[in-house]
Amino acid sequence: MFLEVSNLNVYYGMVQVLWDVSFKVEEREMVTIIGSNGAGKTTTLLTISGVLKPKSGKIFFKNEEITNLPSHEISKRGISLVPEGRRLFPNLTVTENLLMGAYNQRAREQRFETLKEVFELFPRLEERKKQVARTLSGGEAQMLAIARSLMSKPSLLMLDEPSLGLAPVLVEEVFEAIKNLKERGTTILLVEQNVAKGLEIADRGYILENGKITLEGRGKDLLKSEKVRKAYLAI
Amino acid sequence: MSLELFIQNLINGTLLGFVYSLVALGLALQFGVMDIINFGHGEFVMVAMYLTFWISLFLAIPGSATVVLTAPIFFVFGIIIYKLVIDKVIEAQPLSQIAVTIGLLILLRNFALAAWHAEPKGLQYQVLVGGFKVGDYVISISRLATAIVSLVVLIVLHLILTKTYFGIAIRATSDDKVAAALLGVNVKKMYTLVFGLGCAIIAIAASFIMTFQQVEPMSGMTWGLLSWVIVAMGGLGGLSGVLAAGLIVGIAQGIEITFWDPRASLAIVYLLFILLLWFKPKGLFGKR
Ligand SMILES: Nc1ncnc2c1ncn2[C@@H]1O[C@H](COP(=O)(O)OP(=O)(O)OP(=O)(O)O)[C@@H](O)[C@H]1O
Ligand SMILES: [Mg+2]
Repeated sequence: MFLEVSNLNVYYGMVQVLWDVSFKVEEREMVTIIGSNGAGKTTTLLTISGVLKPKSGKIFFKNEEITNLPSHEISKRGISLVPEGRRLFPNLTVTENLLMGAYNQRAREQRFETLKEVFELFPRLEERKKQVARTLSGGEAQMLAIARSLMSKPSLLMLDEPSLGLAPVLVEEVFEAIKNLKERGTTILLVEQNVAKGLEIADRGYILENGKITLEGRGKDLLKSEKVRKAYLAI
Repeated sequence: MSLELFIQNLINGTLLGFVYSLVALGLALQFGVMDIINFGHGEFVMVAMYLTFWISLFLAIPGSATVVLTAPIFFVFGIIIYKLVIDKVIEAQPLSQIAVTIGLLILLRNFALAAWHAEPKGLQYQVLVGGFKVGDYVISISRLATAIVSLVVLIVLHLILTKTYFGIAIRATSDDKVAAALLGVNVKKMYTLVFGLGCAIIAIAASFIMTFQQVEPMSGMTWGLLSWVIVAMGGLGGLSGVLAAGLIVGIAQGIEITFWDPRASLAIVYLLFILLLWFKPKGLFGKR
């Protein structure tokens, strides 16, 4: 099993926000987690990344338990997160941000080739490469956030609302980039508020409601499901 | 009061400003990356000055040459202090952090008082002595050497921070430690190294300060106060901000000494600081 999350219970202080959350991601698959605001999507991704520690439950990656490993160890094993709100390094240049993406030994050796690839994918970033990240536009910043995690050559890429706050043209661009990555064999775990888009490109999806997984299925099936259409697509 | 004296004091103040910047840089680096204010900073300088004194005495080498020992010793000292003390409060609330580092200050100061007594100690072995004349003015060799070394260390550090992976990672961690960890930076290890590096910088400065100053157990107070003011003034402007603030403080003291009592030179630094808070509350280079 590539990524297996089983019975996660996560708290903020005394407040429980994830309840027995279990799901799986197979190699080369694209899986999306859907849920309304405050459902616990970000919490789930942060727990997988080791930023939050679960009270109970287990996380396996490539058949190895990673549950209580620190973030940098998890990153070393090939899991990369594009966090909610991007979290770029504001005082670093675009190039420096990208180089930080390739901080891991494995990625570092190939950093110049990867940098080239990433600039091909996002030509606009190359034009801005000497600019300090805090001066980028919202769309450019989002591209940089995605590009930065690609620099780590992840085997599992987790994206937390990558299209948030982007103009429609840019949303298209970002989804194109994600599809592109999938075709190249990257496994993707996507959290998206753009539910229709997410389900359309994902192989499978899970619905997270108030910290509990309530439904799972193939992306296309979920798109057709009455429940999803009512709750998330407003049709 | 002569113009010559004024210019002479300006020269001395400027030279001193470089080493002020270097001392403050040790603090700025630690504060910038770890968000912790080390109130024991000045005491670290004082201990490094004593270390210079004793190594110079025992090995019968010039004070300036001890730097090859004091810097690595202080790097290790920094790592030990980090592991034993700072690491325990790095995630605690600011109040605990302040209490702990003020504890360090008191511990080191009292230790120095008990072990080395109050009378000032100066180097026995010196090579950086005398001075040379430029027109009407005397340039002290020891102060000039100290200024040059300070500037060189500042430049080297600037190159490390901007041109090496390690340096970029230091700045990234300082910007956002969670994001850095998500990309594979071992943040705790980074903190340990940066604290050690800050202490090594302190030691380099201290070994050269000893070439023109004596050390006594209370020396740390001056260095601590100067450093906090300089970091507050220029810290957010990065390396060049710290350098500019250090020079301003050095020059201000030079001017003060010309017109008033030298014993008030710290007071002037504070006046300057208060004025700055009035007009530029975010520091000279505040942009955040
Ligand atoms: N640091 C925190 N401290 C306390 N509660 C938190 C914290 N972060 C999140 N929560 C709470 O945990 C719950 C889940 O939050 P989470 O950020 O995981 O939701 P989400 O599904 O990502 O929502 P959104 O779509 O708005 O990003 C929410 O009720 C939120 O208020
Ligand atoms: Mg979220």
